[in-house]
Amino acid sequence: MIPVRCFTCGKVISTAWEEFKERRDAGEDPKEVLDDLGLERYCCRRMLLTHKEVVEDLFPYQ
Amino acid sequence: MEIAFAHLDERTAKFVLSGATPAFANVLRRAMISEVPTLAIEDVRIYDNTSVLFDEILAHRLGLIPLKTDLSCYGPREGCGCGGAGCPVCTATYTLSVEGPRTVYSSDLIPQDPNAAPAEENIPIVELGEDQKVVLEAQAVIGTGKEHAKWQPTVACGYKNYPAIRIDENCDGCGMCIDECPRGVLAADSGSVKVVEGRLESCSLCRLCERACLASGIGNEPAIHIDTEEGRFIFVVESDGSMPVSEIIERALQYVQKRSDDLVEVVNEITGEVAE
Repeated sequence: MIPVRCFTCGKVISTAWEEFKERRDAGEDPKEVLDDLGLERYCCRRMLLTHKEVVEDLFPYQ
Repeated sequence: MEIAFAHLDERTAKFVLSGATPAFANVLRRAMISEVPTLAIEDVRIYDNTSVLFDEILAHRLGLIPLKTDLSCYGPREGCGCGGAGCPVCTATYTLSVEGPRTVYSSDLIPQDPNAAPAEENIPIVELGEDQKVVLEAQAVIGTGKEHAKWQPTVACGYKNYPAIRIDENCDGCGMCIDECPRGVLAADSGSVKVVEGRLESCSLCRLCERACLASGIGNEPAIHIDTEEGRFIFVVESDGSMPVSEIIERALQYVQKRSDDLVEVVNEITGEVAE
């Protein structure tokens, strides 16, 4: 799961994850998506850029 | 001491504090971060959790959700009339009961007091698969950022010195500093260089322009000097949504005032003088 807040500054960034993922997978430039979502500090931006979702892989194991 | 706001809304504030010592600026910053109380989930009773996250991870994620806090309704549990057992004056209670497959959001947390609802509605808490469910009860209490970061009302709260840029007469207008400035503070001005109007506060005091000026071969002294104005600070305060920024600033200042009054009282007690 995406962390609720940015590790460094504490801003809630998890609310931006779903839209970010959708638009990035649709081929949009991550830079522009992040700008659109209002994440201006590089600490918050790296939270989304470097995240890898693994919960779905864990579903079978409960 | 003077405060001039450049920008103020519910979530963010930018202001210039002038006529203050660096010590006072830091006291204000620290008070805003760690002394203004807010609500955050502290105790979680988990009845059922068949999700892929462990109970403690789930509880940690719940704790980080910012909750709207009305400090006129809630007080700290310590010294509360209920003796720490938990009553509506010191505790906000939430229930959550979701069955998969779907994602659990902060809006699924049902507050007993609608005024203490989560500040953001679409924070994903956990993703549930087929036949997975989460049933829990959570209690939020008042605390301060001193104890745990989840009780901080601010995010990215800080200040910097007010920049003062001086351009000497021997500037030959070569433009090296303009290209070097990462914040776009400088611009060419008929054979010299000037600060772009309204951009002075963007200066990060990195002094790359001074270095670029020296590298241009102007001599031993650069023609541009970056200094700071004494006693002037640019503050940026951002709220996590638990309360408006103006309230955070006000409460931090009240805290500083109360602490200094208390100190005066103690000192007077020791010296035997009567307070004025």
